[in-house]
Amino acid sequence: MHISEGVLSAPVLATGALLAAGGVALGLKKMDYERIPGVAVLSSAFFVASLIHVPAGPSSVHLVLNGLVGILLGWMAFPSILVALSLHAVLFQFGGITSLGVNTVIMAAPAVVSFYLFGPLVRKGHIMGILGGFGAGAAGIGIGSILVATALVSTGESFTGVAKLIVAAHLPVMVIEGIITAFCITFLKKVKPEILEVGK
Amino acid sequence: MKRFETQGSGFRIIPAVVFFILYLVSSNASAHKVNIYAYAEDGMVFSEGYFADGSRSRNSRIEVIDAKTGEKLLEGKTGDDGRFSFKIPKAASLRLILHAGMGHQNDYTLSEEEIREALGMEKSVLRDQEPEAEGVGAENKTRPAVSGASPSEIEKAVEKVIDRKLQPVIRMLIALKENSEKPGITEILGGIGYIMGLMGIIMYFKSRRRD
Repeated sequence: MHISEGVLSAPVLATGALLAAGGVALGLKKMDYERIPGVAVLSSAFFVASLIHVPAGPSSVHLVLNGLVGILLGWMAFPSILVALSLHAVLFQFGGITSLGVNTVIMAAPAVVSFYLFGPLVRKGHIMGILGGFGAGAAGIGIGSILVATALVSTGESFTGVAKLIVAAHLPVMVIEGIITAFCITFLKKVKPEILEVGK
Repeated sequence: MKRFETQGSGFRIIPAVVFFILYLVSSNASAHKVNIYAYAEDGMVFSEGYFADGSRSRNSRIEVIDAKTGEKLLEGKTGDDGRFSFKIPKAASLRLILHAGMGHQNDYTLSEEEIREALGMEKSVLRDQEPEAEGVGAENKTRPAVSGASPSEIEKAVEKVIDRKLQPVIRMLIALKENSEKPGITEILGGIGYIMGLMGIIMYFKSRRRD
């Protein structure tokens, strides 16, 4: 889901950077002292998740876990994901420094959307928690794929063509990610229910 | 007490989860990065596209452009083994751009010397010395006595043998290069360390502000 350097045009990169900056500023505002360790732990989880490869079709697809990050952090997903993506770019050359803004939006915006869509559901009963977790995980990837396709339209590829390809490639990841997120949410509810009380 | 018990059973799952994740990472470490490698030989360019986990980038578009002028010379698609080869279209520095789809792209530039050499346009070392040798005198012409082969024939034969002998070495080097581009455990742990360090710094400054 990382867009490489030199693929997108300058206006798209600039728009991405601006949107990312706005999201990060909002996230930092909401991040009080007690939340910092949680943000860092999820940043690490996100950092490692991208190294877990899911064999799917001709391309290489990996876990993202942005749905989980979103449910647990809300707007704080923006700074959390930005840190992890910067390290991806520097250490592994996934994505790139110039496409950092766009990539942050691609992965953090769906996180915030799943927070608002599935956050309330997750905090309800047991079954609802599982459903909400699955929905958040799947939506994180699904919306992310559509954002990638949108960003790539500017390179001259047709939206429907690219979107179909990307969504198809990410379908297995959506399911896997939904299951993992549901599992994590159920687990956290049992062990550390207070972690789900974000989003004030 | 009851709460303690649930916590205990919960934390017993953590090592299992960690091991599961480490297993996945170690067996299938990969991500969205595509690489391209190319070399020129015998008037042809051979290129290969592969992802960070070593899997080939199949059916991907490769664009070949003149590195100096930016003029597009040709384009093609990689096969099932991620390879794409073509006849050298022009004696110039060539840039190969691999489009692996979904925003993945990388490029590789072949230098002009490399291309010229593969086309056989590079001046031969032995042939260069020929006029000079002739100038010394006809009676000194002992070279053909070796086996009746001309210097250029000898050079070609030697080149062929060296090429053949170097094949495994080149393959090994490509494999090494591919391996070095895979994310290693040092980098993974290092990245987590950076995040923890950053957390420490932010907490340090925030805690002073709170006083």
